[in-house]
Amino acid sequence: MAGKLNRRQFLIRSGVAGASALSLPALLAACGGDDGGSGGGGNSLFFENWPEYIDEETVALFAAASGVDFKYTDAYNDNNEYFAKVQPLLAKGKKIEPDIIAPTFWMAGRFVQLGWAQKLPVDKIPNMANLRDDLKGQPWDKAQEYNLPWQTGIAGIAYNMKATGRELKSVEDLFDPAFKGKIGMLTEMRDTMGLVLLGLGKNISQITTFDEAAAGFEKMEKAKNDGQIRAFTGNDYLDDLSAGNFAACVAWSGDVLQLAKDNPDVKFFIPEEGGTSWFDTMIWVKGSENGDAVAKWMDYVYDPVNAARITASVQYMSPVKGVQDELVKLGGEAAALAEDTLLFPDDATLARLQSWGALAEEEEAKFDEAFAAITGA
Amino acid sequence: MTAFSRRQRVGQRVINTIAGLGLFYIFLPILVIVLFSFNAPKGKYNIKWQGFTLDNWANPFSETELTSALWVSLRIALISTFCATVLGSLIALSLSRYKFKGSGGINLFLVLPLTSPEIVLGSSLATLFLNRGVNFGYVTIIIAHIMFQISFVAVTVRARIRGFDWTLEQAAMDLGATPARAFWKITFPLILPGILAAALLSFALSIDDFIITFFNAGSLVTFPLQIFGASRVKIPPQINVLATMLLIASVSLMVAGTVIGNRRQRKLAGN
Amino acid sequence: MNPTTRLATVASQPERVGLGVMLALALGAVALGAKWVSGPGAAVVAALMLAAVIGLIWVAFVGGLETRRALAPYGLLKPGVLWLSLFFLAPLWSMVVMSLSSKQSRFDFFPSFSWEWDNYRTALTDFRPQFLRSFGYAAIATLLTILIGFPLAYVIAFRGGKYRNILLGLVVVPFFTSYLIRTLAWGNILADEGPVVSIFDNLGLTGVLESLNIMDNGKLLNTPAAVIGGLTYNFLPFMVLPIYVSLEKIDPRLVDAAMDLYSSASAAFRKIVVPLALPGIFAGSLLVFIPAAGDFVNAQFLGNPQTTMIGNSIQDQFLRQLNYPVASAMSFVLMFIITVAVLVYTKFMGTEDLA
Repeated sequence: MAGKLNRRQFLIRSGVAGASALSLPALLAACGGDDGGSGGGGNSLFFENWPEYIDEETVALFAAASGVDFKYTDAYNDNNEYFAKVQPLLAKGKKIEPDIIAPTFWMAGRFVQLGWAQKLPVDKIPNMANLRDDLKGQPWDKAQEYNLPWQTGIAGIAYNMKATGRELKSVEDLFDPAFKGKIGMLTEMRDTMGLVLLGLGKNISQITTFDEAAAGFEKMEKAKNDGQIRAFTGNDYLDDLSAGNFAACVAWSGDVLQLAKDNPDVKFFIPEEGGTSWFDTMIWVKGSENGDAVAKWMDYVYDPVNAARITASVQYMSPVKGVQDELVKLGGEAAALAEDTLLFPDDATLARLQSWGALAEEEEAKFDEAFAAITGA
Repeated sequence: MTAFSRRQRVGQRVINTIAGLGLFYIFLPILVIVLFSFNAPKGKYNIKWQGFTLDNWANPFSETELTSALWVSLRIALISTFCATVLGSLIALSLSRYKFKGSGGINLFLVLPLTSPEIVLGSSLATLFLNRGVNFGYVTIIIAHIMFQISFVAVTVRARIRGFDWTLEQAAMDLGATPARAFWKITFPLILPGILAAALLSFALSIDDFIITFFNAGSLVTFPLQIFGASRVKIPPQINVLATMLLIASVSLMVAGTVIGNRRQRKLAGN
Repeated sequence: MNPTTRLATVASQPERVGLGVMLALALGAVALGAKWVSGPGAAVVAALMLAAVIGLIWVAFVGGLETRRALAPYGLLKPGVLWLSLFFLAPLWSMVVMSLSSKQSRFDFFPSFSWEWDNYRTALTDFRPQFLRSFGYAAIATLLTILIGFPLAYVIAFRGGKYRNILLGLVVVPFFTSYLIRTLAWGNILADEGPVVSIFDNLGLTGVLESLNIMDNGKLLNTPAAVIGGLTYNFLPFMVLPIYVSLEKIDPRLVDAAMDLYSSASAAFRKIVVPLALPGIFAGSLLVFIPAAGDFVNAQFLGNPQTTMIGNSIQDQFLRQLNYPVASAMSFVLMFIITVAVLVYTKFMGTEDLA
């Protein structure tokens, strides 16, 4: 049983770290028998999310509707950096401030495997039934009891028509010498390398070892040495793209939709070789005792009415079924979004998307190391 | 004579021009920062000039996370500057007031933190905290800031009071003042401007410190850390507004400090 | 000798007592901070430190005014020196220990000490380009700050007149704006469609600059030149101020007299002004070179994947890859090289001029 194993791991780790590091509540929770699932606890909630990932209205509406003392911040900037920030505490069995965080799927998997996520109070989240079927049952959470997706999206290619002077359609266009020094890539390894590997005809969902991906890294290494790549960025690629510093770059679907509204030269496409799909997902961090509030929040945002409001603002693909209909009901600009093929891709588009499978600890280390060498750090 | 002076004049003009260009170079980014605080950006990024607006200045605190980060930074800077000023001034006083064994070694020891790259100071302190299981947050940042401020204050204050005439204090004691009274009545007022100047500068160092704080902040977000995070996501014009405000505040503090210091000195000299 | 007289003898040498206790306390602080001792050992060290302080107070109490006078400087130093021992020296020790430690697995957050010299091999081979770039960029930036800073300091010192302080203020004031925001602003200024590139284009300078390797493929941002320019900009005041301080001391009449002697302004400049400014230039060089070599902000905002410096690598290894041992080894190498440079420097110049 996964729950028992987690608890044992937890106790061993705590023992290693020394009994003094163990706070009394954590100890009581660990000895309490039922590992999560029951909820309970205080009526306050702290959700630390990625920046620009919600509409402000929803935060206020939820607090008013539920009576929960709700705190929402956007200090989750980078998966690896956030992990490095919280690991000294979590590794010692101490708790961190936020109750919920929304790491990208692979990082959420790491949290679950390390025993740093609690089982969600699924019984108290009836709206969980609205979760899109394709997101259910990840390899690291087959029973769908540790994570609940927040938003999902596609990594593809964005370009500035004014700078390229032509339409792009393939991953290979990123390596066109005509765009030397004008290409941007994402610091998020899976998004960047995913596209490059798709360009080489690899099936990334099947990749489990570094050797299978080595060709992609060689290609990137060469591109870097040739001066093809201008910079590795986070979300700030948007700024470089609209300022004309990038001719083309690896990009996330929702961002570019927003940018294209202001700047019609900016275009986004899923390469003919395929694109990657990803999702950021809510997990309940170990040590938090606010299970009831967690349940209330998750149930609230999985109500299609509320989810549609969030989608209208952030413009990523919603993991919640029924959002398309709700957007139509909202009318105006929101209704137009319901027609957007990047928000609600048809089956043909979905068939061109792939996502990364789980990588074992040591293999992932090789990927990260090789990628760090390419980004220059 | 004329040949020399012409050449001299040309040389002077060249050097003046270089200096003028140097000043321009120094001010160019500042102009951009102030200018863009009046920008009305359409998207998330305040990069391209889109149009003039006073909205950002009317609502300088509308970016709540930016504002709270600024408060965090101010609070840290106040506490750390106070502690570092006391500790550093004591060191400076000791080094300039007395001749004693080991002062050379102390001099070298004091310079070491100033000659270590910030990234070494930050990462090594973070290693210590990790080993000790200390939670990162306010306390660790304040400890780190005091650490690099002490040397700075000590060296600055010592330089300021290098020429101080310590016989004044002796004279006061000869006239019957207790050592404590002689210090507080004679010495302290005279060295105070130097201490205040050092405190002001080390306050500025603390507010603006990024590298050392980056390693020792944990989940706490200071103003520079917020800007660093924002630089990867969105750059609201309020950043420029708050930066300009900080600039104005520190300049006025500096000017006020100099004016008050000068007046004091004149008054003391008059007596 | 009975213990009392021995103590009395010790107390009669208050300087030694003061210095000894201060060093002992500093050592104790490092021992506690760097975990040389733990558990009961730590309690013993703490007790010894407390005893030393009490003994010191006793010596000051029984001794006369002269004793207290001799002890005073150490008393004033103690709090600051202890703080630096605990939070500057002890961390350096922890860093050295960490740099020789190894991790059992990727997510082993508590690497254990194992004489892992391999970390240093990794630091020096895998990250050699970053080290070379760091010192190279920092050296060029230092030279540039001298070229820009010297004329500035010269004009302020000799032509500033009553505006000296205002001019000096103008040099310093911009640096009261946030370091990160200034660097981001350079990103704006140097962008492909920004003002600088378009001026160069209009003047037809792009070709020339490209042949000089300053511009690359029509771009200025994300090139080595942009990184070096950012470093030069951000550390310029650290060059101007020390040079100004040393020039300020020069009596203008000395220059006039020299001009009569050599009958040429340039000779007077070369033979009088420059040598007198040298201490300032040397001090400034250290104050610019050291932070520039350890910087990662300029390379991150203004550079490309081939201009990363050692600071970027340390940051990445420490805060993203969680590879504390290798990050510590790189920090140590950086610190070591810089310390050697500083020691050579102090040998020639003395520490006083650093202020």
